[in-house]
Amino acid sequence: MIHIDEEVSRAIDALPTKVNSFGYDAWGFSPKKAKLVYTLIRRALWSYFRPKIQGIENLPAGRVLIVPNHSGQLPLDAALIALACLLRAEPPRLVRSMVERWFPKLPLINEVLWRGGAVLGDPINCRNLLLDEQAILVFPEGAKGSGKVWFDRYQLQKFGRGFMRLALATQSPIVPCAVVGGEESIVSLYDWKGLAKLLGFPYAPIHPLLPLLGPFAYLPLPVRFHITFGKPMMFEGPHDDDDAVIDEKVAKVKYEVKRLIDEGLAQRKGLFT
Amino acid sequence: MILITGISGGLAQRVAQRLLERGEDVVGVDYRESRRLPSDLTNMPIYRASYNKTALEDVFRKHRFDSVLHLGRVASMRVERAKRFDLNVLGTQKLMNLCVTHGVKNLVVLSTFHIYGADPLNHTPIAEDDPIRAGYEFRAIADAIQLDNMATTWIYQHREVRTVVLRPTNVIGPSIQNTISQFIRMEHVPYLAGFDPMMQFIHEEDLGAAVVAALDGDAYGVFNLAGPDVIPWRTALRLAKTKAFPVPTALSRFIVRTFALFPSYLVNFYKYPCVITDALFRKTFGWEPKVGVREAIESAVAKARARRQ
Repeated sequence: MIHIDEEVSRAIDALPTKVNSFGYDAWGFSPKKAKLVYTLIRRALWSYFRPKIQGIENLPAGRVLIVPNHSGQLPLDAALIALACLLRAEPPRLVRSMVERWFPKLPLINEVLWRGGAVLGDPINCRNLLLDEQAILVFPEGAKGSGKVWFDRYQLQKFGRGFMRLALATQSPIVPCAVVGGEESIVSLYDWKGLAKLLGFPYAPIHPLLPLLGPFAYLPLPVRFHITFGKPMMFEGPHDDDDAVIDEKVAKVKYEVKRLIDEGLAQRKGLFT
Repeated sequence: MILITGISGGLAQRVAQRLLERGEDVVGVDYRESRRLPSDLTNMPIYRASYNKTALEDVFRKHRFDSVLHLGRVASMRVERAKRFDLNVLGTQKLMNLCVTHGVKNLVVLSTFHIYGADPLNHTPIAEDDPIRAGYEFRAIADAIQLDNMATTWIYQHREVRTVVLRPTNVIGPSIQNTISQFIRMEHVPYLAGFDPMMQFIHEEDLGAAVVAALDGDAYGVFNLAGPDVIPWRTALRLAKTKAFPVPTALSRFIVRTFALFPSYLVNFYKYPCVITDALFRKTFGWEPKVGVREAIESAVAKARARRQ
């Protein structure tokens, strides 16, 4: 048996109760099992990547969309942001990560995701949770962001418009967020699209040390993560406005995320410190 | 006077009992023979007629029905696909035509949430206007989808008959013999390794009350019925006190092919969620479930467990 981390346990106990008498919500979140999930994230990832969290006090109470850059091949950034909001936010916040459409089909992984509070990245899921005053974690770059190759590191990919339309429809603030360190944890030189299609993966990263280390090349390096939350941004206007109008608003968020990334990169003294 | 189809089934009988208790005249019909009727139903006129055959017309000539409760959708895989099509699709069409020609005022059609399909891309919860995804992958459910489509189109084409279509989630209870009830009554139940989807259950008494509420109300339309709480499948198995064991997903196809009575389209329901909302029905008809999930599951498996011990 794994010993549940006390800090994780206290934070989850402090969350507002939104589960039925069996201890589940409709998406399959379970506080009891989430304690195990977040304990594992803390033991395996938090202590490994030693994230430096800044600006978490910017997280407003109630409904909010957290919008970070996406990087690092594996969704390590999502796990670390979720744990940061649980351990460092006052009061602790449960983050509902919108996951790629690929995950529900993965045995066991789907269970771990749902029990920990993640949900399928679908506009209706997102709207329902925002209306329920919950915190959403959405990566508008999607798999294009996490599957980036080394030469594109910290270059933001195209942002989708869905998150902005949902923010407008539900009058939710957007908290821009920057993750620095993810790009160097697992390096990809090339995205082998043919192999990805064959395996049914969203992308297939080829690591520079693959010929030398084989699968061990994909073990992430213990790069220190820097996670910065920006000031909440409120947007006004109809949610069903023309794409061009929505794009202007999305650009403002993208600019803010980029600015936070650049700040983080400038502040960083070394990869591991 | 009220006609109930599927009267050999447990649900139809429970609804008949409810209506007789409050002094209604009830007539039952089924394509199967109605054996072992509860004693309080023995005085009720019961006809044996395939829903798609002329014998059904004669039932309408003998009685003047104000209301028809079409609870007799055939879901059992024991009935071959062509016959299920005849009974469910042609039969429902005939029944609805008879309702129009004989001036029936209220029609309640019992459909199923299975038509939504348990898809990895399902959002939560699913409402009545969401896509019907099951047919995309499984043709074994085509008859159920067409029954539902016909009835929902009917609502607007024939406003003279007030039609309510109900899409209940997993129905369980002591008198229900559907696949999921039989599944949780077994001593050893397999689950798909690495999958534990959220599920809902509605007790036969709550569904019976919902059918009667739909009959008594004055609204028309399509409505989900979700029951009380949402729980993972393995929690349901624990409540049923079964011995659950994992099987790899790859094996599930083989198992389904071997046990032909297990509908192929149900496999996904043990893998992906199909959580529905019945907020619309609750608001429209003032109904709410009274039997909790634990109680519902325990009542459904009680007899089977007693027999084993």
